[in-house]
Amino acid sequence: MRKLNVYQIYAPVKKESHWSYEALDKPESIRLDHLNTIQSPKMIIFPQREVFFEFHNAEGNTPVMKEPASEPSATVIFGVRPCDAVGVTHQDKVFNGDFKDLYYWKRRNQTILVGLACDTPPSPHCFCLSVGGSPHFTAGFDILMTELEDFYYVESFSKKGDTLINLAGDIFSTPKENSKKDKEKAHSDSEKKLKRHIKNLETVPPKLKNMFDSPLWEEESLSCIQCGICTYLCPTCHCFDISDELDSSSPLSGKRVRTWDNCQFPDFTMHSSGHNPRPDRASRLRQRIMHKFNYFVTNYQAYQCTGCGRCIAKCPVGIDIIEVLEKVRDYGK
Amino acid sequence: MVALEDLKQEAKNVLEGGTVKYIIGYKKPAAGFMAVPAFFHKPEDLDALVWDPTCFHNLVLFLKDEKKRKLGQKEPDERPVGIVVKGCDSRAVNVLLQENYIDRENVYILGVSCGKTGMVDLKKVRKYFMGKIISQIDFNENESFTVTTTEGKVEVPATDIFADRCTECRTASPVIHDVLLGEDSVRTPENPFGSLEEMENKSQEQKWDFWQEQLTKCIRCYACRSICPMCYCDECVVDTINFAVYPDTPAEEKAQKIKWVEKSPTTSENFIYHMVRAIHLAGRCVDCAECERACPVDIPLRFLNKKLEKESKELFDYDVGYDIEIPALISSFRDEDPEDFIR
Amino acid sequence: MENNHYIPKVARIINIKDEVEGARAVKTFRTQFTIDDGFTHICGQCAMLSVLGKGESMISISSSPIETEYLQFSVLKTGRVTSALHDMIEGDMIGIRGPYGNGFPIDKWTGKNLIFIGGGIGLAPIWSVLQTALGKKSDYGNLTLIYGSRTSKDLVFKEELREIKQEMAVHLSVDNEEDGWEEYVGFVPNNLLDKKPSPENAVAITCGPPIMIKFVIKNLQDLGFKDDHIYTTVENKMKCGIGQCGRCNIGLHYVCKDGPVYSWAELKKLPQEY
Repeated sequence: MRKLNVYQIYAPVKKESHWSYEALDKPESIRLDHLNTIQSPKMIIFPQREVFFEFHNAEGNTPVMKEPASEPSATVIFGVRPCDAVGVTHQDKVFNGDFKDLYYWKRRNQTILVGLACDTPPSPHCFCLSVGGSPHFTAGFDILMTELEDFYYVESFSKKGDTLINLAGDIFSTPKENSKKDKEKAHSDSEKKLKRHIKNLETVPPKLKNMFDSPLWEEESLSCIQCGICTYLCPTCHCFDISDELDSSSPLSGKRVRTWDNCQFPDFTMHSSGHNPRPDRASRLRQRIMHKFNYFVTNYQAYQCTGCGRCIAKCPVGIDIIEVLEKVRDYGK
Repeated sequence: MVALEDLKQEAKNVLEGGTVKYIIGYKKPAAGFMAVPAFFHKPEDLDALVWDPTCFHNLVLFLKDEKKRKLGQKEPDERPVGIVVKGCDSRAVNVLLQENYIDRENVYILGVSCGKTGMVDLKKVRKYFMGKIISQIDFNENESFTVTTTEGKVEVPATDIFADRCTECRTASPVIHDVLLGEDSVRTPENPFGSLEEMENKSQEQKWDFWQEQLTKCIRCYACRSICPMCYCDECVVDTINFAVYPDTPAEEKAQKIKWVEKSPTTSENFIYHMVRAIHLAGRCVDCAECERACPVDIPLRFLNKKLEKESKELFDYDVGYDIEIPALISSFRDEDPEDFIR
Repeated sequence: MENNHYIPKVARIINIKDEVEGARAVKTFRTQFTIDDGFTHICGQCAMLSVLGKGESMISISSSPIETEYLQFSVLKTGRVTSALHDMIEGDMIGIRGPYGNGFPIDKWTGKNLIFIGGGIGLAPIWSVLQTALGKKSDYGNLTLIYGSRTSKDLVFKEELREIKQEMAVHLSVDNEEDGWEEYVGFVPNNLLDKKPSPENAVAITCGPPIMIKFVIKNLQDLGFKDDHIYTTVENKMKCGIGQCGRCNIGLHYVCKDGPVYSWAELKKLPQEY
């Protein structure tokens, strides 16, 4: 770690009852016995608050806008689980396309994801295998480490990863002949330990196409309290708001700021006229499920869910996305 | 101790007879062992009703939704809603009645007593049973819980794993009910505000540093507010997202709306949000501690509200949620109220 | 950063016209960029107007791309940003970023008759097409406008309507009887049925309050218009304007990017959540 002091390093740190990514200044404090962090690396690459620009009025009341001067530094996020890395790749898809989000990419291009394969599921609610992932999935990683008996088996998948490994120099040694087999066995063993699965999830997207008016959404959303936990903790959710924060109104100065937002908040889609296309919980729950398991699938050929299980573990009223998906899958049978 | 069958029978009686529209209670989740809130519309659904030490949710919050739902209906069903309440929850019902947010005939209260123990605290259970897989937790006659894991049953003293708020509980059984199951017991904790002592003994600087650290974690998910039965305002003053806007709200009104708190989850904005919310709950919070349980980043919110509960008691001799006839604390004034803090 | 979509360009308001006064005030703003970098748009596209310190609002560009001197926006005063715009005077500066959205496919409409049906401020988003058609009359067939408002005071572009009466069929209406009103009295969808435009070689373009659009589309279908020859533009709450913030998401689309212009054939396939 000391050799990596040109990088800003984030690693999981134990708080009272949860793990959280924090910027590290003491290499000794790195631990790799964590389960999963409460927030995914999304909080670092797509932070909850991002200043777009500062503004003030210059001569003749001409607005002047200035982008933030500081450049994001090269960052290493250490100890990332495969589900969270897949989440980053999904966010990459969203912020790409005809309009690239330069704030996101400036940070993303400087970020190196060093992952840790899961030998046991970090959460009783993990279901990565059901959504096309696995406890050792490599998508999104620059480096993936697998814990074997006496050492970590480390693989690099990108130039950024190679650079890190070269920097570390003699900490690494070439793997022995049967290490690869051991690693592969560790991987397949880890898959057997997952407790929760959704069988036949591939039948859900086509089924959802005809369930817009189903009474299922009303039933399943009865206890939803419309908070932001499921979306804010989700590695793939990306909705945001843009607002102006004033430091002074005369002379005018302030910032235009992006903050996370959430399709479950009641006023998310409300028009200024008072008309709200999604006026109730049923329509908002429907939007969440439709977006993740229908629209995103059609647009990007992937579920917008990585099976990390945070939304299930942390929902204050016990709404379980696996249960909802199973009800969708079995609806009408 | 409450026999689950008795609770189910009482619930079935009122649901079958049509006395109530539906019943809000608890059921087992799809996976895991903690009970989750459930809505029972048909008598046969009640077979899934459970009652055990994992029923820590305060179901009174769903009465907010019921009221808002009725407001949106042309011909609402005026029958009451059946609700399973514990001691602390029942005081929440009393506060809503005291504030005229709901009427007595809107609720049919199935009161259940926690007996000698209380509800478990999930974080303590997890720590105690490090890594083991739990399938069930049950009440016992004495002051312990029986926890069933994949390795068998274990008896655990209640004091090891039950919630902090239960250590300071004075209402082990509901103070208002239509039906009461379990013994009508009153607890007299030695030190009803004991959990505040450590904090109160800190210096001003230590307190500031403590809350700086805690409130920097806040991600403004608003779960604490959404899960609180008392936070029922259509438009919350410390919220930039929910506005009571209608088609005939004039543009000037929308334009002049003051943003008391910015949407950004910076430490200073988080401070304002939490402090103002705590003050708005003074004399109204019943210490169900749901806010602290719901918080995904483990902010010890209970301290804030408990402190104000203590101030309400010490300054104004006001107990929250026992007497619905007396006016609410913040909306009343008595000649004998202390004035020494007015300068 | 180059190509940072979130930085608005500075524009000066060169002209403000009061279209409608009172509770549902509408003003038309003509703006000019302080630095001309060749901004162009297609009919139907929108732009995010920025009032620094208040926020942004997505407004349709109601001027035609033929007009190179200015960009025109008609703004209904309804909230924080629009009220701030209404408080501005000529010479004030705002930010504009865009153009966003997909625009009307007017290239496909050469030679066709165009029937414009608008209600209230809904005339503004389709005005750009109408102005383009009037500017290149030989490219299109007959032009008809069926437009109405609650009262005669709520009609927008009152002067322009008088002018274009010389060049095309204009059928106006108000909801209720009014002193001095000699044209149709009733709702716009009913005026449409009254005037019975022929669907033969025609495209209908409509915009207005959601309830009006619903009945206009139904009546157009009754008159024989095919679903892929009925066009409308959809409104939704927007923030980023580039299909990433999730707010205007309907089904597979983001209204800011894949819309706001849709034919009824396309729109009816989307979830009806707008």
